[in-house]
Amino acid sequence: MPGLIGEDRFRAVAAAALELKGVDGVEVLYTHEWGGLTRFANSVIHQSTFREDTGLRVRVVSRNRAGVASSNDFSERGAREAAASAMEMAQVAPPDPLFPGLAPKAAVIDVDRFFEGTAESTPAARAEAVHRLIDTCPSGFVAAGAFETAAAELGIANSEGQVCWSPGTLASLTTVMTGGEHGSGFAEAFSGSVEHIDPEALGGRAADKAVRSQRPVVLDPGTYPVVLEPAAVATLAGFLAYVGFGGRGYIEDRSCFSGKAGQQVAAPSISIWDDGTDANTLGAAFDFEGVPRHRVDLIKDGVFQDAVYDLRTGKQADRPSTGHGLPAPNTEGPFPLNLFMAEGDASVDDMIRATDRGVLVTRFHYSNIVNPIESSITGMTRDGTFLIERGEVVGPVMNFRFTQSIIDALTNVSFVGSKAELASEFFFSASRVPALKIEAFHFSGRSDH
Amino acid sequence: MSFDVAKMAVEAAVKAGADYADARTGTDETESLTVRNQEMEGIDRTTSSGVGVRVLAGGRWGFAATSRQDEEDVVRTATLAVEIAKAASRRPGAPVQLSPVEPVVASWRGSMEEDPFTIPLEEKVALLMEGTRRMQTVPGVSFAEGGLDLFRRSTWFASSDGAAIDQVVVHSGGGLEATAIADGDVQRRSYPNSFRGHVKAAGWEHVRTLGLIEEAERTGREAVELLAAPECPSEVTTLILDSGQVELQVHESIGHPIELDRVLGMEEAYAGSSFLTTEDRGKLKYGSPLVSVTADATLTGGLGSFGFDDEGVPAQRVPILVDGIFQNFLTSRETAPVVGQTSNGTSRADGWSHLPLIRMTNISLEPREGSLAEIIGDTKDGIFMATNQSWSIDDKRINFQFGCEIAWRVKNGKVTQLYKNPNYTGITPEFWGSCDAVGGREEWTVWGTPNCGKGQPGQVGRVGHGTSPARFRGVQVGVR
Repeated sequence: MPGLIGEDRFRAVAAAALELKGVDGVEVLYTHEWGGLTRFANSVIHQSTFREDTGLRVRVVSRNRAGVASSNDFSERGAREAAASAMEMAQVAPPDPLFPGLAPKAAVIDVDRFFEGTAESTPAARAEAVHRLIDTCPSGFVAAGAFETAAAELGIANSEGQVCWSPGTLASLTTVMTGGEHGSGFAEAFSGSVEHIDPEALGGRAADKAVRSQRPVVLDPGTYPVVLEPAAVATLAGFLAYVGFGGRGYIEDRSCFSGKAGQQVAAPSISIWDDGTDANTLGAAFDFEGVPRHRVDLIKDGVFQDAVYDLRTGKQADRPSTGHGLPAPNTEGPFPLNLFMAEGDASVDDMIRATDRGVLVTRFHYSNIVNPIESSITGMTRDGTFLIERGEVVGPVMNFRFTQSIIDALTNVSFVGSKAELASEFFFSASRVPALKIEAFHFSGRSDH
Repeated sequence: MSFDVAKMAVEAAVKAGADYADARTGTDETESLTVRNQEMEGIDRTTSSGVGVRVLAGGRWGFAATSRQDEEDVVRTATLAVEIAKAASRRPGAPVQLSPVEPVVASWRGSMEEDPFTIPLEEKVALLMEGTRRMQTVPGVSFAEGGLDLFRRSTWFASSDGAAIDQVVVHSGGGLEATAIADGDVQRRSYPNSFRGHVKAAGWEHVRTLGLIEEAERTGREAVELLAAPECPSEVTTLILDSGQVELQVHESIGHPIELDRVLGMEEAYAGSSFLTTEDRGKLKYGSPLVSVTADATLTGGLGSFGFDDEGVPAQRVPILVDGIFQNFLTSRETAPVVGQTSNGTSRADGWSHLPLIRMTNISLEPREGSLAEIIGDTKDGIFMATNQSWSIDDKRINFQFGCEIAWRVKNGKVTQLYKNPNYTGITPEFWGSCDAVGGREEWTVWGTPNCGKGQPGQVGRVGHGTSPARFRGVQVGVR
């Protein structure tokens, strides 16, 4: 199994690019990722993989002109060649009048997110965990899913003297159990450490949902109160970040929050922030420009505070970077990769008991934006959608298509869950959000299962 | 990278206990340029090389890949692939059986007239600067953006059966996007298609034909006009789609459901499955008699064209729907025996670092007759939508909702009122069953989708679709 290449070797390779002469600035972004994924379907392990790759992304700046070249040749030669290629591109690029300069030297909080047991996890260990999960699958049902254990190093060095390096690990286990009469149940777990993943508990949750979701009945589309479990709330939070929290869209009036600083945009019980330094998330404590991350309040007690910024949009908005830069060349602008939603004091059972007639949603599927300025998205429910009547879950319903403004949904929150859960779509990103009860949520159509 | 490393990996895997092994060494190269309001947004090149080893041991797959290319690391990676395959037997199950394929020694190159990587950067920058300048001449255009994307994949495939195949594909494309913002509204128009334009398996000669300069002002003008347009009304009506939106419709509601791995539950936990079953071949009415669809990996210009797939199976042209009746799935060597066939050659990987999966090749709606103007002229009342803006479809590919950038009312054969924020929804077989017009060869365009997601770990597929404009009856539009 590969291991850490380490900060010293990263510094040595980066130095080969940083020594480039005749330019105003050089930045080297380094990644080294390795890990395995054991994938299963029909209760059989069918696709198991391992992958190791490195990346060197060199940005060269000359008279406010920038070029970027990337290579996975992690060597002094690879760094020099990438720097030379980036310089060639910088020489033909028109100048960027808003170029903010490279990140200045600054201290980064040391957050330990590297767990050796996760980085060194073996195919046999993953297969054993999958075996234990599948053993919880009820008779007449099958399990599908994936168990991933991965590790990564991220490093930044630039000609301003800023150097950051951080290792991290990720373990994730997801499963969908299907069978019986159209039964389907889902559960997932994410953590920096494989030690925190409990296959039997996860399988038990999915199995319970799958058994209970058999024989779904038709419920007419319309507007209902909903109880959204954390996986479903993570979808809303992620899309809200995409259409609202990025500083570039915000200052260009393309964000659903443009012009709304200080305004009430959600229920007072809703607070959302981004914090790459929190121990309960994933990724590094610095961004892809080498700027230290820190907590940024986005919505506080339902009031929109501000967006996140990188160096360029910070210069435009006359604010410092909040440490949310993405890898250059970045045409999307800054983005919050470590979202948190404040916990409340309700359990999912409390929310169900407080619902006269509504829908319990386990998760959403294949969601996409309908109208970004209205924070409106559409998607499907999946793997456990239930009717609630008179404070009890009375049975499964056919899956719905929803078309809904996220801001409107968050404005109608009546209960906030007491236990936030971690979800992650890719390695350097995660959100930790609780369940929500929303009093009005629009289902615009339905499927046949 | 070359055959030497691939063969070294195969030999090491067999030595470690593989019953079958194949390996792909490869290099992916990209060049991407983005100009916004005549300023450089991004200009970058990437190069990625490595080797991926796939093995069957004890009837189970194992796959391992590394960017390290020295002998010690290649042997270690091949040995790890075997260890992974053996670990999979922790769960009982039927052993994988591969459909036969003749091991081939071959070399294949995609069609290309002018190597896009040799075109001077200055020429590329100048094209985008002029395109964005012309969009900016339209009052009200807030952001004028142009992009170019070039891609080259070089692959050396070797198998323990004796296959040795090297291939090179080159893809080139570009596009424009104008954004208009006013009074809390944001509207966009793209040309020739959304999400960075029109990408084909071709060289720079394709970019020269795109007309980015000539169409820039119209693109900007339409973005501004949309700001003042009313919302697309909510109604059940006749819907005409331009060929770019038909591309998306084919991709999501035909291309994915016909993947046999989805049908067999192998993608259940992530992308989902399919409403199709293995019993549906030759029986299921998928669409109207006008709807004939082909999977063709030999199509000139398609992003899904190649000489051999990533299992060494030759490129094929396969009927998917014939006059509306479902005929064939997309298959791999592992899945084809389930339906009593040999692989039709659609097992493709996202480069050297990923396991091949069933992926679309070029899934095309075969042309019928007539121009877009004739289809519109033949429509008494309906909505004409153009250029995809968003997409969502359920896990069985039944219920979809797609949005477009722009729409117009069609009244008595003429395009009239402009509408913004149009979308429509439907149920896959009902929607295709309502198709009563498909445009002719003169309207048929081979589009590229270079960003198709599937698999765990996630893979990005580059696939193609040939489509003409088409008309559908009784469709719900204006979903809110």
